[in-house]
Amino acid sequence: MKVYQSAIVGGGPAGMMAAITLAKHDVKSVILDENENIGGQLVKQTHKFFGDHAHYASTRGFEIAQKLESEILKNEKIKVENNATVIGIYPNNTIVYVKDGKEHKIQAKKLLIATGAMEKQLPFVNSDLPGVYGAGAVQTLMNEYGIMPGKRFLIVGSGNIGLILAYQLIQAGVEVRAIVEALGRIGGYEVHANKIKRLGVPILLNHTVVKAIGDESVKGAVIAKVDDKFRTIAGTQREVVVDTIAISVGLTPLTELAEQAGCEVKFIPELGGYVPIRNERMKTTNEDVFIAGDLSSIEEATTAMIEGKIAALEMAREINNIDVEDEINDELKTLALFRSGPKSVKIRTGLEKMGIKTPIIAKPVINEEKKDIVGKLRAVLECDEEIPCNSCEASCPFGAIHIGENLNSTPVLDATKCTGCATCVNACPGLAIFVMKEDVKEGMVTLGIPYELLPLPQKGQKMWGLGKEGNYVCDVTVEKIVKYPNKTNIVYARLPIEFKDSVRHFAFPKKESPIVCRCEEVSLERIEKVIDEGVTDFEELKRLTRVTMGPCGGKNCKLVVLGILSRKTGIPISELSHGTSRPPVKPVEFSVFEKGGDER
Amino acid sequence: MLYNTYGILPFFHKGGGSELEEEGRIVEHPILQFKRKKKIKFYFEDREIEAFEGETVAAALHAAGIRVLRYTPNLGRPAGLFCAIGKCSSCLMEIDGIPNVRSCMTKVKEGMKVKRQKGKGDAV
Repeated sequence: MKVYQSAIVGGGPAGMMAAITLAKHDVKSVILDENENIGGQLVKQTHKFFGDHAHYASTRGFEIAQKLESEILKNEKIKVENNATVIGIYPNNTIVYVKDGKEHKIQAKKLLIATGAMEKQLPFVNSDLPGVYGAGAVQTLMNEYGIMPGKRFLIVGSGNIGLILAYQLIQAGVEVRAIVEALGRIGGYEVHANKIKRLGVPILLNHTVVKAIGDESVKGAVIAKVDDKFRTIAGTQREVVVDTIAISVGLTPLTELAEQAGCEVKFIPELGGYVPIRNERMKTTNEDVFIAGDLSSIEEATTAMIEGKIAALEMAREINNIDVEDEINDELKTLALFRSGPKSVKIRTGLEKMGIKTPIIAKPVINEEKKDIVGKLRAVLECDEEIPCNSCEASCPFGAIHIGENLNSTPVLDATKCTGCATCVNACPGLAIFVMKEDVKEGMVTLGIPYELLPLPQKGQKMWGLGKEGNYVCDVTVEKIVKYPNKTNIVYARLPIEFKDSVRHFAFPKKESPIVCRCEEVSLERIEKVIDEGVTDFEELKRLTRVTMGPCGGKNCKLVVLGILSRKTGIPISELSHGTSRPPVKPVEFSVFEKGGDER
Repeated sequence: MLYNTYGILPFFHKGGGSELEEEGRIVEHPILQFKRKKKIKFYFEDREIEAFEGETVAAALHAAGIRVLRYTPNLGRPAGLFCAIGKCSSCLMEIDGIPNVRSCMTKVKEGMKVKRQKGKGDAV
């Protein structure tokens, strides 16, 4: 049996970072991962990460995965065993896995288990129906394989995963009907929620899904209001027409292998459910076994990477008897900083139940608003919640944004230093920074917004200015589009000055075109388009659009179509050919002809 | 129409007689670029389905609008994908004659024969 210095189960952010750290300290490792590529769930994350610049802030999840993977594949001290499904862990750190249809066994002096987590189930009537997916499954299909599992979505749960999923679905070009949230407040970060609210996605608080509709596949959902004990309020049920329901009500750690490895677990709901008991340095109740990432507590990829580093440093210390105290303490400090904001209360409470205290090194502060300079091109920061991120401060070339020691503090702009370069607009993972310049004399304002959708608007184009809730506010005229390599482009548009604080998104005017031919579902817009392309003959129009060629034989729409043709061409209806009517004039079965009958 | 009984979604057919969208696959995306590998064919029940190398069976079936991956052993209810990352065992199918294979973790191969699993997947 092959014996390694260390083995890592799970090649996600925690496992990858651990392998790199171990190699740095001269410890060889093997990563066992079930997938074709390592990267874990980072590979399907298209959003930019929060955090500080030392920890990949402003970098998109899948790009973090690519960077770490290429670093690992180059490293001779790390062996990657892909397509390897670990099925059990036995005494003496013996790992059994299946690869290429065969069973394999290895041993290691030290183990790091970083198996991550999976989506929690939410039982409701028909929740087992095809078309009800975990949010992560939709992300896998959509962002890893480029396959859309539906067209109209209902999302259940407004934590960060649900909010991010909604945004990603809209980026992929499908519709999100609503997010329902059983609690009376949004679970995830405010900036993530704002991103989708201004795109027009309603977040229904105190609501839940009670039933999926459909026989073999989702065709709709019944949602209802709930009271403060999450009981459905009678009479509030209503149906929404969706073809897909995505569940994002939290994750649960995958502890099975850790338990088999002899790690004691404890039920701590704040950390996600059953989690292995471990110390501050990620060591479990088994001397040789460490954990990191979502297995230890449901959190962010950023903290998973830091935990992976801490675990690896401690493993390297024990294996090679080296002094890494300073490094470990640095990482512990970084982790504590990440967890010092109000959004991390849960994690701090959970860790305390395990006897781990999170020191508050510096309290986050709400930075006081500095004096604004109206009429100057400058950034507008709309990040008012204490979340662990300082990408704006780090990205600003002019030192105009201040956050301070604790990255949970809110940013504040010094308008005298700001040049309106929009680097921070492009960097902000929450898309919560805009640029603005008032033209007081003309009563207009130029507003620049981050834009991550397709198609991009054109210069001079008229668009709708949407408010923070996705509501129409006013018409805007596009002035400039600036493209960036990281795909967060910035669109500048001019609009009346009185709407400078309310417009936060630009959308293409909605074209709702009536259906003219109801049999063949042909819209007015389609008919007009074909006529504009030069078709002026009714017969030709029929063949190109199928108007009047459905089961009704044109009884419904023929005159309307002729009217449109007449209006567009200026030829009176009486002078237009109105086509030939052919039998049968009513829909009949073919069998009536086959059967024949009496000649009467 | 066979849509309902076979769990095949009708939404890929756009109204107004315009061309079919590239089957359930995203062509243009504001952030991502999908570099698709070699086109291959496999069989679902008796139907021939096109897919791209590197796609999982479950993903390729979803691209073709197929969501029902099996029928449950006791109640015979339709079941499909739930986690898509190999944890939940909701997507078990019969692949090349072997039952209880996780279709979300198995890559499609040329000529592969994929069937909906009925029941516990007893060897016939």
